[in-house]
Amino acid sequence: MIELSNTVLGSLLVILITSALLLIVHKNSTNVIPGLKVSNRDPTFIIAGPSGSGKTSLFNMLTTDTFKPTLMSQSPNIAEDYMLPSTSKSFKFKLMEFPGHVKLRYRLFEALKESTHLKGLLFVVDSTVDPQKLTETAELLYEILMLTERFPDGVDILIACNKSESFSSRPPLKIKTALEKEISKIIERKAKSLSAVHKNDGVSDGNDTEEDVHPNSLEIQGGHQFTFDALDGNVTASAGSVLKCQVDKWECWIDEKSVN
Amino acid sequence: MIDQFVIFSAQGQVLYHFSPHGKRLGELQVNKVIAQLISSPVRREETGQRYGLLHLDQFTAMYHATKQPPISFLVTYAGNDLDLNQEAEQVLNLGIKLWESLELNQKIELNLNGKGAKNQHNFTWILTSGESQIERFDEYFRAKFNSLSAPKTKAKESVQPIRTNTHAPKSVKKSTINHKSRKWGRDGMMEESSQGDTSSLDFSGDTSLESSPAPAADVDKESFGVRNDKGDFLIKEIDELLGKNKSNSAKALDSNAGAFGFLQKHLLGNKKITHDDLIKVLEKLKQKLITKNVAPEAADHLTSRVSQSLIGTTTASWTSVENTARETLQQTLTEILTPGVSVDLLREIQQKTESAGKKSPYVFSVVGVNGVGKSTNLSKLAFWLLQNNFRVLIVACDTFRSGAVEQLRVHVENLAKLTDESHIRGSKNRRGKSGNDFVELFEAGYGGSDLVTKIAKQAKKYASDQNFDVVLMDTAGRRHNDPALMSPLKPFADQAKPDKIIMVGEALVGTDSVQQAKNFNAAFGKERNLDFFIISKCDTVGEMLGTMVNMVYATGIPILFVGVGQTYTDLRTLSVEWAVDTLMS
Repeated sequence: MIELSNTVLGSLLVILITSALLLIVHKNSTNVIPGLKVSNRDPTFIIAGPSGSGKTSLFNMLTTDTFKPTLMSQSPNIAEDYMLPSTSKSFKFKLMEFPGHVKLRYRLFEALKESTHLKGLLFVVDSTVDPQKLTETAELLYEILMLTERFPDGVDILIACNKSESFSSRPPLKIKTALEKEISKIIERKAKSLSAVHKNDGVSDGNDTEEDVHPNSLEIQGGHQFTFDALDGNVTASAGSVLKCQVDKWECWIDEKSVN
Repeated sequence: MIDQFVIFSAQGQVLYHFSPHGKRLGELQVNKVIAQLISSPVRREETGQRYGLLHLDQFTAMYHATKQPPISFLVTYAGNDLDLNQEAEQVLNLGIKLWESLELNQKIELNLNGKGAKNQHNFTWILTSGESQIERFDEYFRAKFNSLSAPKTKAKESVQPIRTNTHAPKSVKKSTINHKSRKWGRDGMMEESSQGDTSSLDFSGDTSLESSPAPAADVDKESFGVRNDKGDFLIKEIDELLGKNKSNSAKALDSNAGAFGFLQKHLLGNKKITHDDLIKVLEKLKQKLITKNVAPEAADHLTSRVSQSLIGTTTASWTSVENTARETLQQTLTEILTPGVSVDLLREIQQKTESAGKKSPYVFSVVGVNGVGKSTNLSKLAFWLLQNNFRVLIVACDTFRSGAVEQLRVHVENLAKLTDESHIRGSKNRRGKSGNDFVELFEAGYGGSDLVTKIAKQAKKYASDQNFDVVLMDTAGRRHNDPALMSPLKPFADQAKPDKIIMVGEALVGTDSVQQAKNFNAAFGKERNLDFFIISKCDTVGEMLGTMVNMVYATGIPILFVGVGQTYTDLRTLSVEWAVDTLMS
């Protein structure tokens, strides 16, 4: 009997090992395809914005409470298990800050696609920029919104108007409306632009009936002006200054969102 | 003299900054360099240079970037002569060696992996608990830097030997070091003189010096001697440190071979990647890229970038080396193909045509090799613009090939018919030209290259007189390696001043695309580059999209549109995701 159970056990062990190996091999061979994997399940806050708006400085301010000189980033800053000292509970989350250069934005978009538990997004804006010249900023925000609005409740966004210490800075409300205006223009232009190439183009002709793979959730408003209120996520704007250590309002916002 | 020496991480954190003039960090300058490096990462090192060299409008930058950990060393200086280049190289050399020998890299890696001490936010900053090392680095670097530049200053001021002593501390750094040693001599000899380096500078011009020259000279000599001893001592210490480091690094890491190593490599993950691990994998990936029509040159570059960023890292758990390499290659491809600037043509056209004041049209000109589809893609572009209610003037600048003008006329007739059903083929509009009110052909027959520039100028004037929004100039196809054909392009661009120069390249071409793109880009002189590419005939190659990579690799200029079919509607904007997926599948 003992011999028998030994062989049974042995064979069971072999089966277990082979199935485990198969699983691993399977996993390894499939996770190469992008867009299908979900790599980030932690509660996450993201800092994004155009180049030179002060994202890395804000990141440093939030993580080390000091102002440090920074340069243009080439790769994201990530703080795993970040804690705000003000939160009573020991709530930990991931804080990610992404470079603003146009060529490196794909990292941000990838992270937005791959995260399942986005608590909020801090969109840092240089408030000294002329509202007439916010087009590129609005473009980035538009791209972000296209991704965040895929979530059932959207993602809450704080438009952090940095550099309020400067005499030429604009009030946050003004920046918010300027961004709204610019985004409506962008939506209009996108509708007129040529569509992007996708799989069925060229390879098999004529299959154009299925239309866009991702339905454009921002275009539901038809001819009306675009407003942030119509979005699923809550968008607020508030001023602050990293240089002068005035980031309390933003920290409060993070606090508030992290509890929810 | 160099302007500044900066060490920064890829995350944008400034780790160390030094300027011989004691200036603040020149962020704008450094950011310009970084932006340049991001937007055109394809940069072969110039021959005979150990470090990357970048010439920007006002200054030159020499840089060295390491991937493990991701930090960069950068020296900027005005102008570009051999002496300065040499000095910068020395400074860079020194900085890198010192940085390594003080084991700051290990510290940074530890902190980046989150194994260092954490603060109240549960976060480890990149330089946490490295302050003392940075201080030492600063001290050593300054001392060494002074010894580097000392021979020069001495040679310059050898005319006045006594003054040399007092003037030697030219830079602020120098004086801070002298400052210590000088106190010694001064404390003993003259107590009435105040401390600080300013006094030492005042010294030479001081009246007290004039009144009693002999003792003052003595003091100077002595303090100089002491400083020298001290300085030498410090430098000896640094040299020892540097020497020690060399023997340290000589001990190579041997990878753990055997069954466990094999398992780690293919299954378990958590393996430190070495050069040997990558050779086979990268060769495989390279072959794959080449089968997709990527030029060997470009494939080499891509794989070398992958190995650069991977060697020394550890794979994630349950991930094989091969998959890690694949993912990195995917990222590299995405980075190369993504445009460095956001291009929104509609906005740019609107801005130019709707701006107040004198109205001027937005001018495109299309160039390329023979038969790649310049006229066809120009018509596709025209169709899209017409749909957006712009008034388009098509200019026949191909005055060589028989039938080129007639071909364009057919296109204009088609487009006119598409915009206005009632248009009758062959009829003239009210200005007596082919086409209708929205689209029109500007032609002036056939002739030499002088005629081309003449037509271009006339067409521009005509367009602004007749309130056209957009001018599309078709040019003759030309072989990219024939200087006689390429040289007229520069005067053409100078005269016609197009807002956008578009090069059409066909997806079919293969390896030659690298040279085509390079030559066409160079043909417009130093000040002007191509603005973007249209890759035509993408429907004819299936998955072999390598030409796209080749052209962007060769020039760093983005692809905006791809042609995917024969009709006017078959023009698409490039989706980088799609291109990368197709290339990697």
